Amino acid sequence: MTRTVSRRKVLTGAAGVAAAATATVGNVKRSTAFAAPAVIKQAEPISVLYWGSYSAALGEAEQAIVQMFNESQQDVRVEYQFQGTYEETAQKLTAALQARQAPDVSLLSDVWWFRFYLANALAPLNDLIAANEVDTSDYIESLYNEGVRDGVSYWLPMARSTPLFYYNVDAFAEVGLEEAPEFWSQLVEVAPELVQKDGDTITRAAFSHPTGASYIAWLFQAVIWQFEGAYSNPDFTILINEPDGIEAGEFYRSSTADGWATLPADNEADFANGLTASVMASTGSLRGITENVGDKFEFRTAFLPKAEEFGCCTGGAGLAIMAGSPPEKQEAAFKFIEYVTSTEGTTFWSQNTGYMPVRKSAVESEEMQAFFEENPNFRTAVEQLPLTQPQDVARVFIPNGDQIIGAGLERIVINLEDPQVVFDEVANTLTEEAQPVIEAIAALG
Amino acid sequence: MLGRASLSAAPEIDGVRSAPQEITRRRAFWRAEWFLFLLFVAPNLLLFGIFSYWPMISNLYLSLVRWDMISPVKTFVGSANYAYLFNDNEFRMVLRNSAVFTVGAVGGSLLLGLATALLLNQKLRWRNGARAVLFAPTLLSGAAIGIVWVYIFDPRFGLLARLLGGIGISSPSWLTDPAWALPAVIIVYVWKNVGFSTVIYLAGLQAIPQDLYEAARVDGAGVLWRFRSVTLPMLSPITFFLVITALLNSFQAFDIIKVMTEGGPVDATNTLIYYVYEQGFVAYNAGRAAAAALVLFAIMFAITLFQLRYAEERVHYA
Repeated sequence: MTRTVSRRKVLTGAAGVAAAATATVGNVKRSTAFAAPAVIKQAEPISVLYWGSYSAALGEAEQAIVQMFNESQQDVRVEYQFQGTYEETAQKLTAALQARQAPDVSLLSDVWWFRFYLANALAPLNDLIAANEVDTSDYIESLYNEGVRDGVSYWLPMARSTPLFYYNVDAFAEVGLEEAPEFWSQLVEVAPELVQKDGDTITRAAFSHPTGASYIAWLFQAVIWQFEGAYSNPDFTILINEPDGIEAGEFYRSSTADGWATLPADNEADFANGLTASVMASTGSLRGITENVGDKFEFRTAFLPKAEEFGCCTGGAGLAIMAGSPPEKQEAAFKFIEYVTSTEGTTFWSQNTGYMPVRKSAVESEEMQAFFEENPNFRTAVEQLPLTQPQDVARVFIPNGDQIIGAGLERIVINLEDPQVVFDEVANTLTEEAQPVIEAIAALG
Repeated sequence: MLGRASLSAAPEIDGVRSAPQEITRRRAFWRAEWFLFLLFVAPNLLLFGIFSYWPMISNLYLSLVRWDMISPVKTFVGSANYAYLFNDNEFRMVLRNSAVFTVGAVGGSLLLGLATALLLNQKLRWRNGARAVLFAPTLLSGAAIGIVWVYIFDPRFGLLARLLGGIGISSPSWLTDPAWALPAVIIVYVWKNVGFSTVIYLAGLQAIPQDLYEAARVDGAGVLWRFRSVTLPMLSPITFFLVITALLNSFQAFDIIKVMTEGGPVDATNTLIYYVYEQGFVAYNAGRAAAAALVLFAIMFAITLFQLRYAEERVHYA
C-alpha cells in the first residue's frame, strides 16, 4: 500500500504542469486533512448522491445494498438514483458534469470509465484507500488492476462479469449432447438438429447473438481470442482485420448464413423462452435468466467453447468518485464504495445477481462456497475467472469502439457481408477514432 | 393604447403648439410605443432566444469543432465534420432512409387518412365510436406504442404472424431483417398518426357546401368525377396543411425508432434525427451530431420554403 501511494506522489510531481491534475490532487490532500474531523463534528449525516444503472432483479439488489449501507452506519447517507443503462448513465453523467450537477459517485461500465478518466473527471482513490486501510490485495487482482492507471486507482470493481455459455439442457439432450460443447465445432455439428422451423421461420435456433447495442462486440472479444486474434494491441495498433480476426468473423458469418444462429431483438429473453437452445451472456444476467426460465426447462452455465484455444474476457461495471465533488463528499462516497466492495457487500451482490464476487475472501468464504454448492450455475464464472483477460483497448478505451465493432459484426451476421471488407473498414474507423485518445494519454504524461 | 388616445386628443385641446414641443411629444409617444411593444414581445423573444436561437448558434459553432462533450477542450476543425458526413456511407444510407421514411409516413398517413375520412363521412352505424378508436393512437405515447408493436411484429409468436399464418403467409422477420425493418417502422408511424389526418380531413369534408355536389350532379358528374372535381380541390388547403405538418413531424420521428429498432438492424432504420442522437449521445461526437443537425435543419427549411413558394399557389381557398 505505502508503495503505491509513494509512487503516486512521484507522479504528482511529474504532473505538476497539468493544472487540472494538480487541482484534483489538491482536493484530495485537503480532504485527508480536514474531512475526517468534519465527519465527527457533524450531527447530520453527509449525504452522497449515487448514480446506478440496474433494473429488474439487478436494480432491486442495487437498491437493497444502498439501503443496507445506510442502515449500517450513521455518518453517511447515500441517495440512490437510477439512471438507465450503462450508456444512459454515462450520457447523463456527461451532461451533469457540464452543468456541474454531477453525482458524487457513479457506476461506470468497462467501456466508459476511461473516458471520464481522460477528462480528469474521476478522483484518484489511493489516498482514500490508504486512509480507510482498505486491503486492495484482497480484490481479485485482474479486476482491481483494470481500474488502475500509472499506479493510481480510479475505478473499483463492483459488478464484474465474464461471458458464460448458457445452454438448454433438455434441448441439448435431445440431440445427444449431455454436456456443454468444449469446442464450437461440436455445437456446429449438432446445430441443424437443434434448429426447429415453422415454414421459413426459425422457431428455435441453436444459438443466438445479441445486437450491437447489447454488446455483441463484448462477446466477440472472447471469440476473436479463441481464434488467436485480437481487436488491437495495447498501443492501439488495430488487429481486427488480420487473418485470425477474419477467421473469427467468418465463423460468425457462417452461424447465420448456415441457418443455425439468429440475431433477435433480445437473445436472453429468447433463451429464457426456449426460442434458442444456447447463448453467450454475462454472469450478470444469471439471476434474471434463472427467474425467467423458472420451471420451463433445465439450463446450465458453462465455460465458453473453444475454437483454436480458450478465450474469455472480463467486463461489467465499477464505481468511481467524481473529482469535482467536495472533499468531505469524496470521503463519504468512498465509505460507500468500501462497503459495496467489501467481503459482505460483494457476497450479497454476487448472490443476488450472478456477478462475480470481487474479493478473494468472499470467493473463499464459507457462505459463498455453500451458495455455490446449492447454485452450481453461479460457480462457473468464478471457476472461469483465472482464465480470463482484460479486454483489448480498441473496445474499452477508443470512444465508441464497442459500437463501431458491434455495427461491423451486425453487417457480417445480418447482412452476411464479407468479414474482410467489413473489418478493413472497422479497422480504419478505429484507427482514426484512436488518435484523440492517444493524444490525450500522451498529454496526461 | 393610452398613449395613442391622449395624443390624438391633444391637438383639439391645445389648439396651437410650437414645433419643438410637438417633436418632443412625438418622441415621447414613440418611446412609450416601443416600450409597450417590447413589454409584450420581450418575454416571448427571451424564451425564443434562450431555447431556440441561442442553441442554433451554438450548434453552428459545435459543427465546426471536434468535441466529445466530456473533455474541457474543443478542437477547431473547420468543415471537417461536414466532409466526414458527405464521405460517410452510413450517412448516405441515413439520408436514403429518411427520404423513404418521410415519403412512406407522409404518403401513408395522408392517403389512409383521406380514405378513412371519406368512409367515416358516410352515415354509418357506430360512426362516432369508430372515429374515437381511430383517433386514439394519436394520443398515446410513441414509446408505449413501439413496445406493443415489437410484440405484434414478432415472427414467432406475434399477433401479425398469427394473422398472416391464417392466410397461409409466413411472417417476415420484421424488426431483425434489414429489408423489412423500415417498412415496419413506417407502418407503426402511419398507424399512430393516421387518426390525426382523418379528423382534419373529416372536418374539411363536412365544410364542403352540398350545393357544389348538387350542381355537379346536375351536370351529370358521377361519383369519381365529383370526387376529383369537387372534393379534392375543396380539400386542397387541408391537404397542404397536413403535408407541411406531417413532413416536419416525420422528419423528427424518434421515439418509435428508438424503442423498436434503435436505428438497426445494420442502420436499416437509422434516420437523420436518430443519427443526430446516435452521433451526439451514443458516439459522443458533438461536432458530427451538430453538423448532421444542421443538414436536417437545412432540409426542413428548404421544404418549408418550397412549399410556401410553389405549393401554396396551387391551393384552392374557398
